[in-house]
Amino acid sequence: MKIEVTKDWCIRMARLEVETGADMEIGGASAVASPDAVALDLSSESMPETNIAFGRFVSLMRRKRRQTVESLAEDAEIDVTELVEIEEDNHHKPEPRTVYQLAKHFDVPTPSLMQLAGLSVAKNASFYEEAIRFAARSETVEELNDIERAALEAFVSVLSNRK
Amino acid sequence: MSIETSPVFLLDVSSGQPIDAELLDGIAEQQLVHWEDEWMPVLRDAVERMKAAGIERTKWPQSRHWDWRQKAQGFDRALANPGFCVTCQGMTQGMMFLDLLHKARIKSQTGKELVYIEYLENAPWNRRHIAGDEARFAGVGSLLVRAAIELSREEGFKGRIGLHSLPQSNAWYANTCGMTDLGADPDYPHQLRYFEMTPEQAEAFLAKGNTP
Repeated sequence: MKIEVTKDWCIRMARLEVETGADMEIGGASAVASPDAVALDLSSESMPETNIAFGRFVSLMRRKRRQTVESLAEDAEIDVTELVEIEEDNHHKPEPRTVYQLAKHFDVPTPSLMQLAGLSVAKNASFYEEAIRFAARSETVEELNDIERAALEAFVSVLSNRK
Repeated sequence: MSIETSPVFLLDVSSGQPIDAELLDGIAEQQLVHWEDEWMPVLRDAVERMKAAGIERTKWPQSRHWDWRQKAQGFDRALANPGFCVTCQGMTQGMMFLDLLHKARIKSQTGKELVYIEYLENAPWNRRHIAGDEARFAGVGSLLVRAAIELSREEGFKGRIGLHSLPQSNAWYANTCGMTDLGADPDYPHQLRYFEMTPEQAEAFLAKGNTP
């Protein structure tokens, strides 16, 4: 499709852009989300416990596999910056595609991980209780010890048994 | 499918001079390589700088997690999802994906077809809040919006376009583009604001660049 645009039009509009100093980026939704994920839960700011649990879960799964943040990002084909934010910032809202990729990489059900990440709503409160218990049991220490490993494996089992 | 090239111009911000550029009606492998090899390192550096400077997260580039390759594969060159890009000096300066299956929401246009802008991103070195006073080229966003309007006309949609704007961009679409702000969309992730342009507003936008 050929589009005729004059030089004057291009430059006038460009000058307007400079004067306003505006950004023009569009597109906050991810193109990929798990098909069986429930609708995005936009009120999950009120569920920081699951965010803590999600970041802790990703961190422990990574360490269990003896992976660096960079190598996990590369293997799971996700952005390294977002992975750092997931692990370090309890208020970070991950992209659905990132959670989908992590679920595939860790071999856990995508809907469960979506719920843990606060991107969809769990059907009952027990899931959140499990997430909080996991977050409490797995407080960060220098190395992945037996207790953390047990907590992690128990929680993987909870995630895997959910439909 | 062959990609057609239209000659356009960008403004070199530092010299104030027009620079030859191209508007392409497609996004090819070359653009995805530019995004991976050239855009992403600049975006990552920008995020690191902002993080180190203690700048709050909401002010970081909101497109930092976008994956254009994944978007391109997702759309898989579907006829309903055409793309456009602007190149200059051998480098991709901006990209946009569209969707032709959306309907208008403004009362006077309800149910009529429009061109929906799915994704639009300017190269990080052209963005003032990343590159500051060293922003390289201006005019990319206007050209891509113009391309969406022209496609809308070609499809018989009379220039109608719609989009969900990121918060950092709301002012541009409301004030400079003159689009109608239909408010935060409760059905859209992150409740982004939805903007729509009527045929009359499209005329006004095009006229803006023709007025001395």
